[in-house]
Amino acid sequence: MAATRETAAAVRDVEQYKYGFVTDIESDKAPKGLNEDIIRFISEKKNEPEWMLEWRLKAYRYWLTLSDEEPEWAKLHFPKIDYQASYYYAAPKREKLASLDEVDPKLLDTYKKLGIPLLEQQMLAGVAVDAVFDSVSVATTYKKKLEEMGVIFMPISEALHKHPELVKKHLGSVVPYSDNFYATLNCAVFTDGSFVYIPKGLRCPMELSTYFRINEKNTGQFERTLIIADEGSYVSYLEGCTAPQRDENQLHAAVVELIALDNAEIKYSTVQNWYPGDADGKGGIFNFVTKRGACRGKNSKIMWTQVETGSAITWKYPSCILQGDNSVGEFYSVAITNNRQQADTGTKMIHLGKGTRSKIISKGISAGRAENTYRGLVRIGAKADQARNYTQCDSLLIGDKCGAHTVPYIESRNPSAQTEHEATTSKISDDQLFYCLQRGMTQEEAVSLIVNGFCKEVLQTLPMEFAVEAQKLVGISLEGSVG
Amino acid sequence: MKPSLITTHPFGEAYAKSLGVAPWRGHLPGPKVEEWRFTPLRNLAKIAFAPAAINVSVDIIPRTVPVIQGAARLVLVNGAYRKDLSDANLGKGIELSHGKVPAKEGSSLIALNAAYAPASLALHVTGAVKKIIHIISIGAAEVAPAALHPRITITAETSSSVTLVESHVGLPGETYFSNPVASITVGEGASVRRYVSVDEDNEAFHLATSLVKVAGDGNYEAFHLGLGGALTRQEVRVALTGENANVRLNGAYALNGTSHHDITTVIDHLLPNCTSSQVFKGVVDGESHGVYQGRIHVARDAQKTDARQLHKALFLSRGPAIDCKPELEIYADDVQCAHGAATGEIDPNHLFYLAARGIDPETARDLLVEGFLADAVNEISDEAVRAVFGAAIGQWLKLRQARPS
Amino acid sequence: MALLEIKNLHASVAGKEILKGITLKLQPGEVHAIMGPNGTGKSTLSNVIAGREGYEVTKGEVYLDGQDVLAMAADERARAGIFLAFQYPVEIPGVTTSAFLKTALNAKRRAEGKPEIDAMDFLKLVKAKTAALGMPYDMIKRALNVGFSGGEKKRAEVLQMTMLEPRVAILDETDSGLDIDALKIVSEGVNSLRSPDRAFLVITHYQRLLYYIVHDHVHVLANGRVVASGGKELALELEAEGYAKYLDAAA
Repeated sequence: MAATRETAAAVRDVEQYKYGFVTDIESDKAPKGLNEDIIRFISEKKNEPEWMLEWRLKAYRYWLTLSDEEPEWAKLHFPKIDYQASYYYAAPKREKLASLDEVDPKLLDTYKKLGIPLLEQQMLAGVAVDAVFDSVSVATTYKKKLEEMGVIFMPISEALHKHPELVKKHLGSVVPYSDNFYATLNCAVFTDGSFVYIPKGLRCPMELSTYFRINEKNTGQFERTLIIADEGSYVSYLEGCTAPQRDENQLHAAVVELIALDNAEIKYSTVQNWYPGDADGKGGIFNFVTKRGACRGKNSKIMWTQVETGSAITWKYPSCILQGDNSVGEFYSVAITNNRQQADTGTKMIHLGKGTRSKIISKGISAGRAENTYRGLVRIGAKADQARNYTQCDSLLIGDKCGAHTVPYIESRNPSAQTEHEATTSKISDDQLFYCLQRGMTQEEAVSLIVNGFCKEVLQTLPMEFAVEAQKLVGISLEGSVG
Repeated sequence: MKPSLITTHPFGEAYAKSLGVAPWRGHLPGPKVEEWRFTPLRNLAKIAFAPAAINVSVDIIPRTVPVIQGAARLVLVNGAYRKDLSDANLGKGIELSHGKVPAKEGSSLIALNAAYAPASLALHVTGAVKKIIHIISIGAAEVAPAALHPRITITAETSSSVTLVESHVGLPGETYFSNPVASITVGEGASVRRYVSVDEDNEAFHLATSLVKVAGDGNYEAFHLGLGGALTRQEVRVALTGENANVRLNGAYALNGTSHHDITTVIDHLLPNCTSSQVFKGVVDGESHGVYQGRIHVARDAQKTDARQLHKALFLSRGPAIDCKPELEIYADDVQCAHGAATGEIDPNHLFYLAARGIDPETARDLLVEGFLADAVNEISDEAVRAVFGAAIGQWLKLRQARPS
Repeated sequence: MALLEIKNLHASVAGKEILKGITLKLQPGEVHAIMGPNGTGKSTLSNVIAGREGYEVTKGEVYLDGQDVLAMAADERARAGIFLAFQYPVEIPGVTTSAFLKTALNAKRRAEGKPEIDAMDFLKLVKAKTAALGMPYDMIKRALNVGFSGGEKKRAEVLQMTMLEPRVAILDETDSGLDIDALKIVSEGVNSLRSPDRAFLVITHYQRLLYYIVHDHVHVLANGRVVASGGKELALELEAEGYAKYLDAAA
């Protein structure tokens, strides 16, 4: 009997995390561990200019001084990471592809399974995709069409060669190499990621999208994304992530930098579905990500939307530095934790310019034995006259073995600024649940429906294609949490 | 320990030697200790405090202490009980004693107090006490900076009730540091009301800790008013240790000059069916700094908890700072928990409305500030104390107007 | 001399001209109605007269009994006798209606060189006035306008008016959000205040308020100007035919 139950549970696990397969593909790997030689190896593999290597080494040397400074303030518990036990570079063999046709069919198949078709004829209408497999970008679609409009959308390793002046000027200008433990590590060892430049006045007509996939065992993924929206431009950018189901934890420490100049707008959406580990907390991705946008220009706007359902541990605070007068920062978040997952996520809104506005809508759902923390900072500088912030954080607990926490920090130095924060914590009401059951829904359908309603304000900010996917994901993530 | 987690202080060997007791070997919290991130102690630690003299001559109660009609009066000067200044006719159902200070572990400030407090002023409540008990703690440093460690212990037995007022003030002179600790035990079905006013001297430091335990069906109502001092912290930690216990913890602060005032609360819901509510309001002027940190912790077993928390702060000028960190830490699912926080200035629409009724701008501001704080002050259920605390705020506003701006 | 005289008044908000030359004269005892479609400057006119910030008078003059109104601060205007019944009375938590009324009344008395009102006299006065308006006396213990219904708020405005006894009362869309019973009570309050030395400026979008408030003159405001003036018949005509012909004329 016991064996049968175990098998059933294993089957259910596989069904729950349908991206848990491994692609059997030959890959190039740097030796395990981290030292200056590895960094030189990565830099050489990418054929990087000297200044890039110097920057990496500077970051690495600084990182060594931080050994005592690995962040401990988050409500997260995990064994100390052995940074020497990981591979810092892994790439599918066969490089320099002339076109998509040369991509390894196994890779194409992988992305097809993930629901991300790379061949242009199969593409979702109006979405250009950059696919990052382990450490490197494997394919970017719709390149030509975007080039014609003046949009630069390519792997950052390629941009380093084709647009060195743009990369050099902006890389590290929002998240400096000394920012924090994980970001500093990323500076030293990042391998690829996407680079986007939207020229003045252009409203980018298609959604740009990066799809991240960790495949290799024991591999850390350290990608770096840089998006620059020049004056008066607009871009909507989507990011999706999955990883195979493995028993050991894998580290993902990405850095995303956004720069919006005068009157520019960047919309950045993430659906994060890294492998969360099994029901007992074995395996899963450690997701330690630094995402920050600078609203440099007046009237600029940066909007973060995130749906965080995966990862064993999420440590992530997509932030906005509102420098330009009347600039706007928005943060919409759904974070779902189930089983043994832990999430400590939120945002920082740093108001520096006059008339700056920010809005934070956070929905946290905790089930199983999970811990879910919203942590957010709203800081109003002395010069941010008439700044406004509105924050609403709602938490939902499903079951009595999980935790939901809300930790806002509000720091105001300006009298004419207004901040407003509201938070609630509750459970799904028995009345709502009963109403749905009485109408013939299963428990799981009912929970999925109610939780989707709870998250609606956030989900509706997602681009269409993602919204539908995200809604399904909300239901799937909570399977097995009730009853 | 990392250097950023401690602050070196003047309360070691030399301090203990002049008292003839064993030295305190602990540390004050440093700037990187999360609970102290908004209230650094470096300015306090720089001053060479000596133990405040117990037998200092004080003839009268300072005028800043509010008069509460019909109340019994217990006076501490530099932490020591002064019979000559007290009116200890407490009435029935309550007894006063002077006990040894328990050398209990706790936060560093509690340990500091335990190391150097002269004796504990202990009140044992057994019945329904009619008189308000007014405890007055006076700091008097005379010619050199001095530290005092008042200790108060209140034990309310089953079904008893008492109303306490605490006034913390100082005499003019050198700077002083008051480090009071109050331990309050509310027995089953007992009811304790405690109204604390901190109106220390402009140069004074005041770091107070209250440890409260509320048993089943017990009620604890407290109000903490903060009106002055160079650096004040009122830290209140309440544990609800029985079912159906109820806590109402409220407060207000009004700051000017370079005053720093910190209210830190921790409410620990340990068992089911308890309620807690908090309303804190503050106004800041000059270059003052207001801090509110409040944590609601709901343990796994504390189902059916209803916990609420609100902090609102109003800027009266350009220059002050507000830091706020309301926190929910929830481990039980069938609960209703909420918090709210807001900062801003007086609504210009309100000012215009009052101007349109002929009220001049200064009067209008005072009315609006009083109204703003009234939301918190009105939570005081004792009518006489509510009036006295309201008047203290009114007085603060009058003095504020008198200040050259 | 007119009680309230507005001469060629121009005013703008955020650089945009809203009032483009308004001239009006209110004699003591008169009730003037200002009508017009939304967005023509009716509320701007009342705010400018009352002295709200954010409105820039670029040209023109306003006199109350010969005193230069525009030179006065908002509270001075109020003490001089200008009362604005707000379209959207603000809610002020924590400030009780009674504390508010008393402060306002005493501010006026002080300006008139009278002593502050005795606490008992004040309560008696409030009792009488609330009763006359059919309001529960207890309402003065509540925070100002907080949790009041739309009708209660408007009645509270009229209560304040009857307590402060202004020289000129401006009613800004007082009828908005009122049901017919509340409308009647508010109108009766206004009518009862009519007196030979007081004038009213009743701003409204609809004719219906004018069924209840006895008025002498009607002005049509369109695009920042008074485009027509007349007697009661003008209001009836507007009700029947709408504002279209005046909008065309003003454009």
